[in-house]
Amino acid sequence: MTPLDQLLLLSGLSVLAIWLIGNRQISGWSATLFYAIQGVALLRMSGLAYGEVQGIESAVTLQVLEHALHWRFDGLSWFFALITIGAAFLVSWFAGGEWGQRYREAGGSLRVFHTALALNVFAMLVLLASGDLLSLFIGWELVSWASFLMMALGSATAMRYAMRYLSYAFAGAMAVLGALALVYAETGSFEFQALKEAVPAMDSASLWALLILFSAGFGVKMALLPLHLWQAKAYSETPGPGAAFLGAISSRMGLFALVVVLVQLLGVAQLSDMQLLFTFFSAHDLLAWVAIFTLIFATFTALRQHDARRLLAWHGIGQGGYMLLGVVIADDLGSAGGLMHVFNHATYQAALFMVVTAVIHRTGTSDLNKLGGLVARMPLSFFVMLIGIIGLAGLPPMNGFVSKWLIYRSLIIDGSPLLFLGAVVGTLGTILSVYKLIHNTFLGQLRVEHVDVEEAPWSMMIPMLMLSAIIFVTGYFPGLVLAWVSAVQAAVGLPVLDYTLGGVSMEKGGLDMIWIVSVLLVGFGIGTLIFLGTGRSKRVHQLDNYAGGHFLTAETRYQYSDNFYPGLMHLIGPWYRKSFRWAERGLVSAIDSASLLMQGLYRQTQPAFYLLVVVVFALSWVIVQ
Amino acid sequence: MSVLHLILELILMPLVAFVVGLALVLMMRKIAARLQRRVGPPFLQPVYDIIKLYGKDTQISHGMIHEMGIIMAVGGYIAAETLLPVPGMSGLADKGGLVTLAYVLMIPSLGLALGVGQCANPNGSIGISRALTAMLAYDVPFILVIFGVAWMYGTTNLADMIAIQQQGGPQTWGIMQMPLLALAGLLTLPAMMGKHPYEIYVAPAEIATGPMVEMSGKFMGGLFVMQCFQLYTVGVLYTTLFLGGGENWLTFLLKVFAVLAIPMSIAYLFPRYRTEDVLRLMWKWPVLIGLLGLAVVMK
Repeated sequence: MTPLDQLLLLSGLSVLAIWLIGNRQISGWSATLFYAIQGVALLRMSGLAYGEVQGIESAVTLQVLEHALHWRFDGLSWFFALITIGAAFLVSWFAGGEWGQRYREAGGSLRVFHTALALNVFAMLVLLASGDLLSLFIGWELVSWASFLMMALGSATAMRYAMRYLSYAFAGAMAVLGALALVYAETGSFEFQALKEAVPAMDSASLWALLILFSAGFGVKMALLPLHLWQAKAYSETPGPGAAFLGAISSRMGLFALVVVLVQLLGVAQLSDMQLLFTFFSAHDLLAWVAIFTLIFATFTALRQHDARRLLAWHGIGQGGYMLLGVVIADDLGSAGGLMHVFNHATYQAALFMVVTAVIHRTGTSDLNKLGGLVARMPLSFFVMLIGIIGLAGLPPMNGFVSKWLIYRSLIIDGSPLLFLGAVVGTLGTILSVYKLIHNTFLGQLRVEHVDVEEAPWSMMIPMLMLSAIIFVTGYFPGLVLAWVSAVQAAVGLPVLDYTLGGVSMEKGGLDMIWIVSVLLVGFGIGTLIFLGTGRSKRVHQLDNYAGGHFLTAETRYQYSDNFYPGLMHLIGPWYRKSFRWAERGLVSAIDSASLLMQGLYRQTQPAFYLLVVVVFALSWVIVQ
Repeated sequence: MSVLHLILELILMPLVAFVVGLALVLMMRKIAARLQRRVGPPFLQPVYDIIKLYGKDTQISHGMIHEMGIIMAVGGYIAAETLLPVPGMSGLADKGGLVTLAYVLMIPSLGLALGVGQCANPNGSIGISRALTAMLAYDVPFILVIFGVAWMYGTTNLADMIAIQQQGGPQTWGIMQMPLLALAGLLTLPAMMGKHPYEIYVAPAEIATGPMVEMSGKFMGGLFVMQCFQLYTVGVLYTTLFLGGGENWLTFLLKVFAVLAIPMSIAYLFPRYRTEDVLRLMWKWPVLIGLLGLAVVMK
């Protein structure tokens, strides 16, 4: 039994054990323990992450018809598995204490919740371990169903959007299946190696077909444009910790599959060779622009949300754009940035969803129009959110900056000014949006009904603080994560980044976060000294302020999030046309009509009409003959 | 270079920036005064202002984040100055570079935004909403300029850029090599500094609506210090990118002062723009010129 088998077995047994423990308070903590054990099993394979071991095969193989299914782990799988198990560990910790108690009292079943979480982890590990296209497809289906189970746990709205996700996932699975059929027709095998060898000989039409089918199929999970409509609402309605888990890692499985197919099998060089007819565009450019549009579109949609969870979920979609962009640039810097962003995003997205869940736990709402001023009551939660939003916005000194810097730097070297502009506009939009989030949750006026709110319980606080520490430390010493990332690059055949502990050492302008963060900390220190060394300030009540002749009272509400940026919306407001929503509705009604027609045909409701049709066809056939 | 030498540089660079920044504030006020046929403030007025603000008796704090915001605003700039090479000192220029600097410069803005946010004053929040919108406005052309310059010099290291320009003499200065990008940069300068005519978010004439509304005493003093750094940073950055940096302190300061004086003298001819007009303006002319400039540079 190889270490990989042990890990998968442990993960499978965890699902069973959690199911057996049932709807008890203890199920949360025991799940945490199980994930910790899985984490240890994963760490036993850490040779993969430092390039010491190339791959670990599973001893299990399955024979389906004449095809052998097999499973293996390499640097790429290890990296994603680490994020998956880490996220599950912290999320189940978060859910183990008071949150679980409240959830159970409110009628939720901890058995179902934790089983769904464990099932997600198991399915993801199976997907990550896939060793050929058929096992990839099986893993993919498992992941789709597992995440459906998680999404369906929420309210009625959640169920509706989970169903919507299901129809997208079905369509995506069909696309992937189509691609597999194509691969089989071309190569007669489902092995990675066979496809890889067959690619150079394939004609352009089947390459395009493969590219489109695979990208559409896996892009659904990543919510790439234009397949993004399901995700934000489905994720945000999932029970808090579940949303943190899904937001952190679930949709990145799409990126994993895309990396396997596009980078490892088809090869990025191949993508650049595939020219779109009558344009200067290659398949490579097309993917890069899909990434940029996903980023900008989702970010500026997030800007208009007034529910904290929905805002975060939209950002989750947008940040996926950075990852895909980095991966398709495919040089050492860019791909490192894209892959590192998977880790970084998982850390701050989980932290942010947890803070919002903690706020809901204490105040009962995540509506930005009904919150405000909570920093006075929940200061630690505020700091977690602050660290999280700095990471999400990609400013130093947090880890989000490093991955984005790598992508920017490679775009400069690559000479793509418009992609660069798009990437930075995405960041600027994020800054505006996350300021709105923190302002309307923690800053501004404290509402009367929240005066007695307490800080989040420690069972929630500790995982949040741990995540904040990871966000900061991996920003201070990005080399810690870049080590794993470079193993991933080596595993999938990308150029390997030459990293240092502080970032990247380059002759033409590198990055050393150790210096940057140190000097920032010293700067803040000097700022503090100047501030504390001069004069004494007096704390006043929040309503004791200058309002231009008016007096604010507790009844005067000013906290607003609708139209928080009126100047900006004045200009770009008309650009929000809901075109994708329209297109989706159009597609749905087209399918509706088609199925109605088919139904009519099936039930023979209009026999005379069919007779007419048949006669017309027969006659025209005769005439043509 | 020894560690001691580097530490000395890191201490000196922000100090120099602060002193030069004070002089720049004085110059801006003088220009404004002359254009409005006033005499203007005396030579040491910026120093008096800072002493006055920090020495005030009444200092109202709205809580920890209010204070932390001011610390972030000042501290962020102190850190940023060490990334900006000046004659004889390059500090941490090789550790970060242009892109990092552009992002470090957002930290003070974020600090200010957080600080104002806690004041629970609607007028302050409106000011921040306007300030962040203005940032979105001027950063778009600024990013194009950054890209063009980094592409042209083939590096993001500011010290290298200065070296390249100084080796080739004035005909290799950025302004000669990429005049269109230099023009786009010049047009965005006043907006980056938050100066006339792009100062609606500070709202000097309508004091009730702006980030400053709850700032008194040393809070206002912190913002004054931040302004000194801000003017210096923008001026030095432009000098570095387009005017060959400084061969010595004399020419360097001359360039920095000229960079700020020229657009300021013209800016007072224009009325103050509304936020949406700032967006419209910044996204139209500087972006168009910047894109043209990029096309020329990258051919």
